[in-house]
Amino acid sequence: MTVVPAQQTGGGGGSSGLYDVLELVLDRGLVIDAFVRVSLVGIEILKIDVRVVVASVDTYLRFAEACNRLDLEAGPRKSPGLPEIVGEVTESGARGKSKGALSGAAETISGAFKQAREGDSERETESRPRARKSTAARRKEEQE
Amino acid sequence: MSTYVYGITAASHPSLPEGMGGVGDPSRPVRILRAGDLAAVVSDAPEGLRPKRRELLAHQNVLSEIGAAGCVLPMRFGSVAPDDDSVTAVLAERAEHYLERLRALDDRVEYNVKANHVEEAVLHHVMAGNPEIRALAEANRQSGGGSYDDKIRLGEMVAAAVKAKESEDGPALERALEGAADAVSVGPESTGWLANVSYLVKRETAEEFLAAVEQVRSDMPHLEVRLNGPLPPYSFVEPGPAEPAGTAAGGADTGAG
Repeated sequence: MTVVPAQQTGGGGGSSGLYDVLELVLDRGLVIDAFVRVSLVGIEILKIDVRVVVASVDTYLRFAEACNRLDLEAGPRKSPGLPEIVGEVTESGARGKSKGALSGAAETISGAFKQAREGDSERETESRPRARKSTAARRKEEQE
Repeated sequence: MSTYVYGITAASHPSLPEGMGGVGDPSRPVRILRAGDLAAVVSDAPEGLRPKRRELLAHQNVLSEIGAAGCVLPMRFGSVAPDDDSVTAVLAERAEHYLERLRALDDRVEYNVKANHVEEAVLHHVMAGNPEIRALAEANRQSGGGSYDDKIRLGEMVAAAVKAKESEDGPALERALEGAADAVSVGPESTGWLANVSYLVKRETAEEFLAAVEQVRSDMPHLEVRLNGPLPPYSFVEPGPAEPAGTAAGGADTGAG
C-alpha cells in the first residue's frame, strides 16, 4: 500500500471545512432506489443562495464603502494581516451584513447547520428561500 | 427494524469497522452484511433519524474509516433499507455493477476543492483593472463618500466586475488542477464559492495533486482555496455527465464540465 497523505481539511479552517465535507455527504454518494432516504426536511436551508456577489443594495453599499477606503498604493494582499484590514474596512455596519462577504457566506451556512441541528421543529424550512434554481438541473444530471 | 446503510465494499476489504459507533443517539454499532464478493456496512436505523450535524458526521466518520483501508462506495446520507435481507438482496442482484465500480475506484480518493475570493484582494484587482470604477471611487472619496445614489452606482459596478472575475477564476482554478487528477466532478455552482470541484486522485499520485493545489495557491493569491480530502469517492460512485464514462481513464482531458 502507498502512504496516504494526511487529511487536509479546509484552508482557513474552522467550521467551513466541516461544512465543505458535509455538503458532499448530503448531496453526492450512491443512491439505491430499493432503499428509502430519511426525510431531509430541514436540509433545504443549506441550499440558500449565498453567493458572494448578491445583487442587493446592501452589497452595493458595502462594496462602495470598501472601495472608498481601499489603499490602492499598496498591492493586493499586501500583508498576511488581511482579516484585520477587512475588519477595519467593514467595521461600520451591522456585523452580520458588513463582514467580508466571503466569510459571511460561510457563516451563513454553518449558522444554517446549527439551526438545523438545534431546531427540532421543521418550520424553518418554510420560512427560508427555496433551493436555488440550479438544483433542479443538477438533480436531473444526477439521474441520468 | 430497518437498516441504515453507510456504504458498499468488497468482502475482501481488510479492515471493516465492525462495532464502531454509527448514526443515532446513542450511536448504533456498525455491522457488516456479506453477500458473495460484496459487503455492506450498516447499522440499525434509529427511529426518527434526521439530517443533523452529528448524524452527518457519524456517516462520514464510518466511511472514512472504511476508506482508509480500502475502497468503498459511499452511500448518500440517509439511505435506509427495510431490513438486512433487502440489503443483501440488492448486493446479490447488482453484484456485477458494484464490483465494477469498486475496481474502477480502487486506490483512488476524492479531494474536494472550493475557492472564494479574498474580498480585499479582489477589490484591488477590480479597481486596478477598471479606470471607470477607479474614477468613480475617487470622486466619491473627494465628496466625503458620495451621495447614496453615487454609492449604489459604484457598488453596482464593483459587484458586476467581481462577478466577472469569479467566472474567470473558477474555470482557471479547475483547469489548473485537472491535469493532476484522474477524473473531475464539478459540484453545484453559486453557493458561497466560485469553484466547487471534486477530483478523483490515485493514492500514489496524491502528493502531486497536493503540490498542484499549493501551486494554485501561490499563483492565485487572491483566492482562498479550501481543500478537503482524502475522502471516500462520493462524487464518483456512478458514472455521470459530470465525469467521463471511464472514470479510471487518466489524463487531463477528462471532461471537466
